[in-house]
Amino acid sequence: MNHKENQRNLPDWLLKDENYIPQSDKDQFIGKSILSILRILSKIKSQSEYKTDKFHVNAALKVAFTFLLVILLSLSTSYTFIFVVDVYLLVVLSFMDGKEIIKILSVSLAMAFFTFIILFPYILLGNTYTSMIITLKVLSTLIAVNILSHSTRWNTITGALRRFYVPNIFILVLDITIKYISMLGDFSLNMLYSLKLRSVGKNNSKYGSIAGIAGTMFMKSKEMAEEMYAAMECRGFTGEYTVRSKWKLTIADFIYMLLTIGMIAAFILWGRI
Amino acid sequence: MHIPDNYLSPSTCIVMGAAMVPVWAIAVHKVKKEVTRSKIPMIGIGAAFSFLMMMFNVPLPGGTTGHAVGGTLLAILLGPYAACIAITVALLIQALLFGDGGILSFGANCFNMAFIIPFLGYFIYKFIKDRTKSEKGEYVGIIVGSYVGINMAALVAAIEFGVQPLLFTNSQGQPLYSPYPLSISIPAMMIPHLLVAGVVEVLFTTAIYTFIKKVSPGTIFEGAKQKIHTIYGLIVALICLTPLGLLATGTAWGEWGADEIKDVVHGGKQLGYTPAGMKNGFSFNAIMPDYSVKGLPEIAGYILSAIAGVAIMVIIFKIISSFSKTKPKDISNES
Amino acid sequence: MIDLKDVSYSYEGINALNNINLHIEKGEAVALMGANGTGKSTLLKLMNGLLSPDQGVYRFDQEEITPKKLKNTKFSKAFHQKIGFVFQNSDTQLFCADVYDEIAFGPRQMGMNEDDVEKRVNDCLDLLGIQNFKHRQPYHLSGGEKRKVAIACVLALNPEVLVLDEPMNGLDPRTQRWLVNFLNTLNRSGKTLIISTHNLDLVQELSKRAILFDENHSIAADLPSENLFQEIDLLKKINLVDENYQHY
Repeated sequence: MNHKENQRNLPDWLLKDENYIPQSDKDQFIGKSILSILRILSKIKSQSEYKTDKFHVNAALKVAFTFLLVILLSLSTSYTFIFVVDVYLLVVLSFMDGKEIIKILSVSLAMAFFTFIILFPYILLGNTYTSMIITLKVLSTLIAVNILSHSTRWNTITGALRRFYVPNIFILVLDITIKYISMLGDFSLNMLYSLKLRSVGKNNSKYGSIAGIAGTMFMKSKEMAEEMYAAMECRGFTGEYTVRSKWKLTIADFIYMLLTIGMIAAFILWGRI
Repeated sequence: MHIPDNYLSPSTCIVMGAAMVPVWAIAVHKVKKEVTRSKIPMIGIGAAFSFLMMMFNVPLPGGTTGHAVGGTLLAILLGPYAACIAITVALLIQALLFGDGGILSFGANCFNMAFIIPFLGYFIYKFIKDRTKSEKGEYVGIIVGSYVGINMAALVAAIEFGVQPLLFTNSQGQPLYSPYPLSISIPAMMIPHLLVAGVVEVLFTTAIYTFIKKVSPGTIFEGAKQKIHTIYGLIVALICLTPLGLLATGTAWGEWGADEIKDVVHGGKQLGYTPAGMKNGFSFNAIMPDYSVKGLPEIAGYILSAIAGVAIMVIIFKIISSFSKTKPKDISNES
Repeated sequence: MIDLKDVSYSYEGINALNNINLHIEKGEAVALMGANGTGKSTLLKLMNGLLSPDQGVYRFDQEEITPKKLKNTKFSKAFHQKIGFVFQNSDTQLFCADVYDEIAFGPRQMGMNEDDVEKRVNDCLDLLGIQNFKHRQPYHLSGGEKRKVAIACVLALNPEVLVLDEPMNGLDPRTQRWLVNFLNTLNRSGKTLIISTHNLDLVQELSKRAILFDENHSIAADLPSENLFQEIDLLKKINLVDENYQHY
């Protein structure tokens, strides 16, 4: 390439202002994809910041208790038990940050509402019990799981899985996945932005564009995986991965365990009425 | 297609999870053999790719959008075993950290999306591709594979829903989980999947495959030809085993028909007259839990209500105060 | 052309832009400088309508740009045609299967017939000297080649304002020099250029005006770029250079 090429005259069209009036096009898929990826990224980002865990409860205990709660809720047949669980969840929620409460409640209520709509015809058939108890259980379960994910750093959640004899290598995969969801997510977000900025008219091959983004993301992910493996090998990775975790029980943990026992007792008392 | 908790009974979840255990074991074994431990990052990053693919909105005719699962695509790109593990990890992260899809129903979700879609889709793709040997055949394979894959997964999910009222009811005979029988759950799941979701999946899969093939054909998984038989055997065996496993908990196939017919007639009869729900009125006091009932002492009920009341007040207060703090931002972020 | 009044923006509770006031005339070339993480990229995204300010007003061509207006697809498409954005990472900008399609993407959307599209694409290819890889896949090009394709595909829309995020990053010195000359040519022909850069050596050649960001995410100085090196203390204060920095 000759550097003097620069100096050549620019083409006429580049010197004129474009008098362009766009056609409208239905390309909401770009905006919607941007929004859903943004949501994921902002959730991961808010995770990486310091979490003030007001209760200082061991993550493994929290994970175990949440699972237990989910199972008990699913087995329960009585409003009373669900009511007891809901009171507990509300108390925990009330200790959390306002913004987080909104996030937890909005996600959970949306899904519960969706469930209610699905089950609504069944109410019309005269069976309110089934529809209501499922909706309530869905709501309670979602709040419980979302409290866990909002109040605990994710690497401590994945680390806690080790306590349940999940192999280290699997935890490594989980950690890599979360990291790359955020990296690839950022990458595809920028691609979607660029598609949005260049979508100045009617796109006649929308699938071509979305395929270009997803396809490039795939090739990028392969490339990243190869680089990551090379980097891991350079740092002496042999396939062994140890998860460090301290296992020291505090008073908060014991109170938490008492709560667990209380929930089981409540379930035995009222769960299957 | 992500089934939340409480739509399926815990025992169904256990059965589906148990069905996944051999699949995972074989998949891990195969992936280890095929690609050595060096590809651990590939699985993690493949899972991240799979996760993000489910976030993409795909344009539909008429300007609306839909989601694709991309399971068959992933199987074609990474091989079915690696795809199975990658989708499993993606589903686990969705369930555990994003609250999308249940924790108990994780096994069932994996069965539908990490097993049926990639394996069945890949098998059909490979079957057609190996027998036609032209590029056209390859694309026919992708189209049929991705369409059948997602629809079969939807069908299995519909069966999982549909058997719930037959198997799990409380002492009064009221269903405890998804209450709709097969006669409702199957059309409710299949019509949208056959007409819309399946088409989205096909368009998405073919478009991405075409792009990658054009730009970087070397990155696509090359499955050996003879492997097809083992996959075939595995799929047939597991598909046959699943309904049996589901039924191991109780009823037999024969009873389904009768039950369903009863249900339909029952429902039809009711609808012939005034719908019962209308007649009984939407008595909301029947919907609301009765606070002082069934074993909960009155005082305990009061205390619990009081605690709930305080907690609700605190929550409302915090929500209001955080709204007033973030208001300008919420508006500006709408775009 | 571009007018920002008291613009602030924060993301997840973290300030990214703090009370920015900036006016850029049509035909100007402006360099944005500042240490990493001072908000340059955020500002560029905001100018392109990808983000909206939490507070303050952003006007483009006297027209206020609001999320509500951008929701109107006709308005947003017309706006995006007038302002082009070259991303920092060229990989993210290229999603078509070959270079020709990549550059033709914009003109085709604008409803041009295929002959006009071809002329425009060829002009762009000539202009950036990339005619010889017209049919290669963007994904496999080198960093410098990708950057050129990314610029070509934005240029094909013939925007009035061209925004470039760290365009010199990752380019070899020869290509950097080439890009400076090319951007100067564009500017002389009337295009407004907004360029974020860390490159102290080239900034004086790129633009007449330099905007410096400090670590509070606000504008620390707005000065002619020829005066930049008389303000070494200022550059040190905003942590753009270290204490021992000397300019020769």
